[in-house]
Amino acid sequence: MSSVVSKIREPLITGHKSYHDITEDLVSPTEKVPGPSWVIAFIVSVSVLAFGLFCIAWTIWHGIGTWNLNRTIGWGWDITNFVWWIGIGHAGTLISAILLLFRQKWRTGVNRAAEAMTIFAVICAALFPGIHVGRAWVVFYFFPYPNTRGPLWPNFDSPLLWDLFAISTYFTVSLLFWYTGLVPDFATVRDRAKGFRKKIYNTLSFGWTGSAKHWQRWESLSLILAGIATPLVLSVHTIVSFDFATSVIPGWHTTIFPPYFVAGAIFSGFAMVLTLMIITRKVLNLQDYITIEHIESMNKVILVTGTIVGVAYLTELFIAWYSQYPYEQFAFFNRALGPYWWSYFGMMFCNVVTPQFFWVKKFRRNVALTFFLSIIVNIGMWFERFVIIATTLARDYLPSSWSFYVPTWVEIGIFLGTMGLFFTFYLIFVRVAPVVAIAEVKSILKSSGDQYLGPNAIHHEHSGHDKVIMDPIHSDEISDEHHGHGDAPSDTPGSPADIGTEQAVKTGKDVKGETKVSNTYVPSSRKEGSEKDDLKKIEGIGPKIEEVLNNSAIMTYIDLVNTDVGRLNAILENAGSNFRQHDPSTWSAQAKLAAEGRWEELKKWQDELDGGKTKK
Amino acid sequence: MEKENTITEYNFTGTSRLVLLIGMGLGVVCMILSFFLDGGVEHHARFWSNFLHNSVFFTGIALMATFFIAVCITAWAGWYTIFKRVWEAFSQFLIVGFILMLIIGIGIYLHWHHLYHWADQTILNPENEEVYDAILHGKSAFLNTTWYVIIGGLIVLVWVFFAYKLRALSLDEDQNGGDANFSHHRSMRWYAAAFLPIAGFSSAAMIWLWIMSVDSHWYSTLFAWYTGASWFVSMIALTILVLVYLKNRGYFANVSAEHFHDLGKFMFAFSIFWTYLWFSQYMLIWYANVGEETTYFKQRIDHYPVLFYGNLIINFIVPFFVLMRNDTKRKYGTLVFVSIVLLLGHWWDFFLMLKPGILHTAHEAAGMTGEHGGFTPGFTIPGLLEIGTMLGFLSLFLFVAFSVLSRSSLVAKNDPFLEESLHHHV
Repeated sequence: MSSVVSKIREPLITGHKSYHDITEDLVSPTEKVPGPSWVIAFIVSVSVLAFGLFCIAWTIWHGIGTWNLNRTIGWGWDITNFVWWIGIGHAGTLISAILLLFRQKWRTGVNRAAEAMTIFAVICAALFPGIHVGRAWVVFYFFPYPNTRGPLWPNFDSPLLWDLFAISTYFTVSLLFWYTGLVPDFATVRDRAKGFRKKIYNTLSFGWTGSAKHWQRWESLSLILAGIATPLVLSVHTIVSFDFATSVIPGWHTTIFPPYFVAGAIFSGFAMVLTLMIITRKVLNLQDYITIEHIESMNKVILVTGTIVGVAYLTELFIAWYSQYPYEQFAFFNRALGPYWWSYFGMMFCNVVTPQFFWVKKFRRNVALTFFLSIIVNIGMWFERFVIIATTLARDYLPSSWSFYVPTWVEIGIFLGTMGLFFTFYLIFVRVAPVVAIAEVKSILKSSGDQYLGPNAIHHEHSGHDKVIMDPIHSDEISDEHHGHGDAPSDTPGSPADIGTEQAVKTGKDVKGETKVSNTYVPSSRKEGSEKDDLKKIEGIGPKIEEVLNNSAIMTYIDLVNTDVGRLNAILENAGSNFRQHDPSTWSAQAKLAAEGRWEELKKWQDELDGGKTKK
Repeated sequence: MEKENTITEYNFTGTSRLVLLIGMGLGVVCMILSFFLDGGVEHHARFWSNFLHNSVFFTGIALMATFFIAVCITAWAGWYTIFKRVWEAFSQFLIVGFILMLIIGIGIYLHWHHLYHWADQTILNPENEEVYDAILHGKSAFLNTTWYVIIGGLIVLVWVFFAYKLRALSLDEDQNGGDANFSHHRSMRWYAAAFLPIAGFSSAAMIWLWIMSVDSHWYSTLFAWYTGASWFVSMIALTILVLVYLKNRGYFANVSAEHFHDLGKFMFAFSIFWTYLWFSQYMLIWYANVGEETTYFKQRIDHYPVLFYGNLIINFIVPFFVLMRNDTKRKYGTLVFVSIVLLLGHWWDFFLMLKPGILHTAHEAAGMTGEHGGFTPGFTIPGLLEIGTMLGFLSLFLFVAFSVLSRSSLVAKNDPFLEESLHHHV
């Protein structure tokens, strides 16, 4: 990657993080006892999953007749859900592989979770072909096997078999890719762990030591896997589209299906990544790593792929007319104005109309709207598959066999069950592995951290170069030692320097001077002289805490606004047991009002607060 | 600011002009010859099909240059900045493309040629029972001269506007740019983003009109994207060739192996993407075996096997195996070789898209029915006159591009991404 970064770009890591801060922030969710929100979410997910398993058991016990499929509509919710989940499983490997090849730095904030999501989505998808055959014990018919059905190996002719290969290959490579990325991060977790936990993470990290040789092999493996995964991203949904497009069913047989399915899959995959990441960054306090800039970039991908899908819809519609082939024309007439017209309009509205909001920068950077639209997009993509599958089948060549289909509770239950499965896996994942790739985020800190780039950066004019100089921090030994060699992820977990920092922070005794806790944070006050605000005006901060904060280089309201809650907690924790009970959650919001001079509002709010805490 | 001192003004020398003028002259001579040596095909089909083929091919390259500038601006790409003037120069050929396509459009009105079967009014009239074509009559709301000339012309003018505007903003940035708000880049982003969906929709319509409607009964939803990919690879190949030439003349000293490596990657990736689309279209039509669709490939495999299989070898096998390695994308020898092959290869692909349909139409117009195999000069494979015509159009394209290039600085000195591009490292 280029070491020069244009000033026009925005930082991708905010909060003036040091390498140690990154480790701290990203590993700690795996070390703490889960909070109530996690426990509730987990119980709900597992319950829904249990109901889904019950419905699957019901299907297998009583037979496929418990679904409402009929002679005309042989594929309903089952294959709709299958294609929907497979589509969602596209963003992960796209982010990892294709964005790696395009050197998009923002991928580092979201790639880990997106890859995990890919794997879980593919597992959910793979369930449906397995159970839709009805007789689960003959599911080996999927696989080609010799001779009992003649010498021709007939199922090689079928795109359904190609699908089996495509998806299993994709799953394998995605899993390898995901795990490869996790190895150094597991080692980081291991280095902070004790006892049995340390043993487990040591095994998981394959005894990673962080030597140069390890990194070199790790990097070449990542590149090779990216090279393999890129065509795979295209191939999987291409072959899923072949399931339909190789037929002679009007509305299914159209040549644009392969690339248009791929675009649609990326579209829905990114929408699901957004849904998950917006929740995750909030719950785990990762706003400094999954920034608004990340969300905006993903929204741009949503807009692009949504519009590509729109072009494809209109192309299909136009060519159906242009072909002058009456069955093709009828298929599209039926989609838009037939008995399932609502699903066609749902698809058009959710997939083509709503993403157009993202033309406006303000909307792209609006987290609440993004969250809402990301769910809308996935509803729309579900409709798209339903339109293609059930709507098309409902009106075939013979009007005498036309039919209508609504799912039974069993089919709905199985779909809900896959949701439960997906979220159960995801919730476990955020507990056991760093949800943001530590090593990769560290690799972009020097080029995209907000102390180097953007409005909060410290600019140096140096030897006539009009650019941001790469080391404005007061170069303490730690970062020097780590990053004397360019910006490869050389912050090897387990290196002496890293352990040194950890100890320094843990004991608290070695913390001398005022910058140890936040050793890279250069507050605005230090840049512009010795400005200092009265932090005691913030409810919850007394003279002692003010001193602690000042020692951590938080001097002004602005500094406090720029310090996130996790950081404040860490500062308080390090200051000794007396300080631990304080809850800094409202401090930065209070400081914001103070910094803006809105004392009236602050006063009013403080009256409602109880010692700086929100009343329960 | 610059890594190396480099010449920032391109001097379009008399010698270069002369060479390109000779090339154009050769093209004119070949076109005049093809007007008369048409191998017995009516309506001077050889001349007009060559005219259409090259106009469409080079206009598409200019469109793709505009499109890719817009993509790069929207994606906040930095690496291409030092040579973006080359793409800006390519994009200005759209004005010439507009005139070329207008000539073909006027030709439809004035019956100069018979490239498009749908333009024949007699077959659209149900009263002419012998020749009435219900399918084309059904399509006539789209396949008609108004769409081709008026709406098509307007669409190309919209492309010209965006190509002009993006370049004008870029040139203005040289003079007045460099402010802290990056206002020029903001404005370019606006135009670039607006152009992307416009190009996405309108290019499909133009490809259907200009190219797909040559086989007037046949249809394929993928066709527009397939053709677009073919244009895109040609554009990248021509960019590499022009950059290597200019570098050898001492310009663009800062364009390094790193930039060529990325261009090579694009050429490699989009060659594979082109093949992917080729395969998707072919395989789905072959598998479903619907007569209305398979006729397109059957005609080509039966009567144009050299073109048909050659197309795949040239445009897939060669770039795939040569550009697979890292170092071949960084060396001039291999890169130039593949670029030449691909530029000719995609020109060949357009030949295969257009010529069989045009010949079929010409035969129909001449009252011939049934199978008509055998060798037809200028149709079965590209002859010397076709290659000469192509060189003429290529010279025209380069003449326009170099003239545009010589009128402004080669370095977009106030572009916010220039430093990134200068220090680009793969």
